[in-house]
Amino acid sequence: MTTLAVDGVSISFGGVRALDRVSATFRAGEIVGIIGPNGAGKTTLLNVICGLNRPDVGEIRLASRVITGMKPNRIAGMGLARTFQTSQLFAGMSVLENMMTGLHLRSRAGLFAAALHTRRMRAEEAELAARARGALDFVGFTQFADRAASALSFGQQRIVEIARTLIGDPKVVLLDEPAVGLSVNRVAELDQLLRRIRDEKGVTLVMIEHVIRLVMGVSDRVVVLNSGQKIAEGRPEEIREDPAVIEAYLGKQVDAGRAAS
Amino acid sequence: MPVQALVGHRSFLTLLFGTLLVLPAVANQYTLFVGNLMLLYIILALGLNILVGFSGQLAFANAAIYGIGAYGTALLQVHLGWSFWAAAPVGAVLAMVIGTLLAIPALRLSGIFLALATLAFAQATQWVLWHWQSVTFGAGGFRTPSPSFSWFAIKQDYGIYFVSWVTTVTLFLFTWRIMRSRIGRAFVAMRDGEIAAQSLGIDLLAYKAMAFALSSFYAGVAGALYSGLLGYMSPEGFDLFQMIIQKAMIVVGGLGSVVGSVLGAALLVYIMEFLREFKSTQEIVFGVLLVGFMVFQPNGLVVFMKRWLPGWEEPMHLPERPQAISKPDVVEGTTSGDHPVVERT
Ligand SMILES: Nc1ncnc2c1ncn2[C@@H]1O[C@H](COP(=O)(O)OP(=O)(O)OP(=O)(O)O)[C@@H](O)[C@H]1O
Ligand SMILES: [Mg+2]
Repeated sequence: MTTLAVDGVSISFGGVRALDRVSATFRAGEIVGIIGPNGAGKTTLLNVICGLNRPDVGEIRLASRVITGMKPNRIAGMGLARTFQTSQLFAGMSVLENMMTGLHLRSRAGLFAAALHTRRMRAEEAELAARARGALDFVGFTQFADRAASALSFGQQRIVEIARTLIGDPKVVLLDEPAVGLSVNRVAELDQLLRRIRDEKGVTLVMIEHVIRLVMGVSDRVVVLNSGQKIAEGRPEEIREDPAVIEAYLGKQVDAGRAAS
Repeated sequence: MPVQALVGHRSFLTLLFGTLLVLPAVANQYTLFVGNLMLLYIILALGLNILVGFSGQLAFANAAIYGIGAYGTALLQVHLGWSFWAAAPVGAVLAMVIGTLLAIPALRLSGIFLALATLAFAQATQWVLWHWQSVTFGAGGFRTPSPSFSWFAIKQDYGIYFVSWVTTVTLFLFTWRIMRSRIGRAFVAMRDGEIAAQSLGIDLLAYKAMAFALSSFYAGVAGALYSGLLGYMSPEGFDLFQMIIQKAMIVVGGLGSVVGSVLGAALLVYIMEFLREFKSTQEIVFGVLLVGFMVFQPNGLVVFMKRWLPGWEEPMHLPERPQAISKPDVVEGTTSGDHPVVERT
């Protein structure tokens, strides 16, 4: 079943055509990798899906509803969550509060309930905190709950960010380079985590990633972008052999000694 | 009782509000006036901190909104013959409505541009107070009627003082609770990252409007009380220096800290009264405090409180300095993120 569909989407910034008639579909419970050289339009594709950028033409559907042009917070409310290329934890909050903020749309308390500290509001807060701890437990981070978010290492912040996107039970999660800056061991942990998310939560994961071993290892399918166009799509083993992909991207390999142990 | 409980934020608050509660029993008229000012500035600092410290909106209109609350309350009495008790809530709500409209430019502008836009609004308000003489009585100001406490069988000075005390303590409690709820988290999220906040479903328009509404309501309430307290109204009380005073209070106390707002307001009213005779010294001292803290301890006195007093347990919502976040994990063998990284085969 298709949860997310991108249909003929184009967008230009000034003279730069960041996306050029890109179409792709994403099915429930699969991991789709998005790869391509720098400036290929990968982040722009996520921005267009989540509503941060409005496409010039084309349509985006989430669970068969058209979401093109909606505001990001509305699209989030329809079950789409994402992370960013740089850590976007709220630095002035604790880890637990960050997680509870991820439940913003799953909670109701308004200004007056909060000011008056109503019984219902307190019950809801307790429930949010419990769910937040549960979600931290899923990634093995229970012990960090009361730390300041800014006190975590970069890699830990990335994991909390992923946990924060999962906490509201989204249908689709978009991840922008989750492995950037992670050590080799951490990449292996991330690999396991992504598989568990797919298998236990049944969400659709769309992941931009430059760490080829990770993306080829966990993805069910891979989409390749180059200069705003989709140049290939297929199973990881097909993509590895695709001459156009090797020409545009994979051929420019970095010596693996740095990344692979 | 453990030591912690004795030297924490709770004891500070109990001591301060307790002292302010019994002040009328021991103080002369002047001291009572200063105590009353302290209460009003606590309200102002709480409101401004919601907007600037928690929600991250660099707005400079608070003194003007305070003035609108004060003038609104006073002019409804003078021109329309309303009683203070009818005029005060309307004045406060008027200030809130006008302040909320400032959220509209705030949606498009941020940082220095929002600061400039709100400064322009503040200057325009000053201009109206100075020049729309038929309504505002211009630069010379005017006498405002004293609120009647006949129904309360209490002397007028005490009356407005106790109303201020109850209002301040109530608004303090509301602020404390709101900032620790999902509303407060939405404010802080907006401050720490608008894009991430939006992606979690936080409606920036709604929460900016709410932050502006709350802070201008607080300023309006303080203004209404001020008109009842002073018995005299003129535009100077709501000028740029007034804005600097309020800004200094939250910066010295602690941006993003509810108790810090109280601490900063209490301390700076004390200093202000100490320098009452020398207005120019006041301006220098406040300017130096504001700039000094911004440069050397932008998170204010609460940082020291938290460090030195074991019982100071307010959850921290301090804005981080940008470089504080994103410590790299392990440097050796990290992935670079800007090339395809493939293992050797
Ligand atoms: N908001 C914007 N304004 C102007 N140009 C933009 C904007 N966003 C993206 N671009 C341009 O669009 C192109 C695609 O950028 P994008 O960030 O999507 O690349 P990417 O594939 O994510 O690259 P990387 O691997 O470096 O993250 C680039 O040329 C970029 O400069
Ligand atoms: Mg990118």
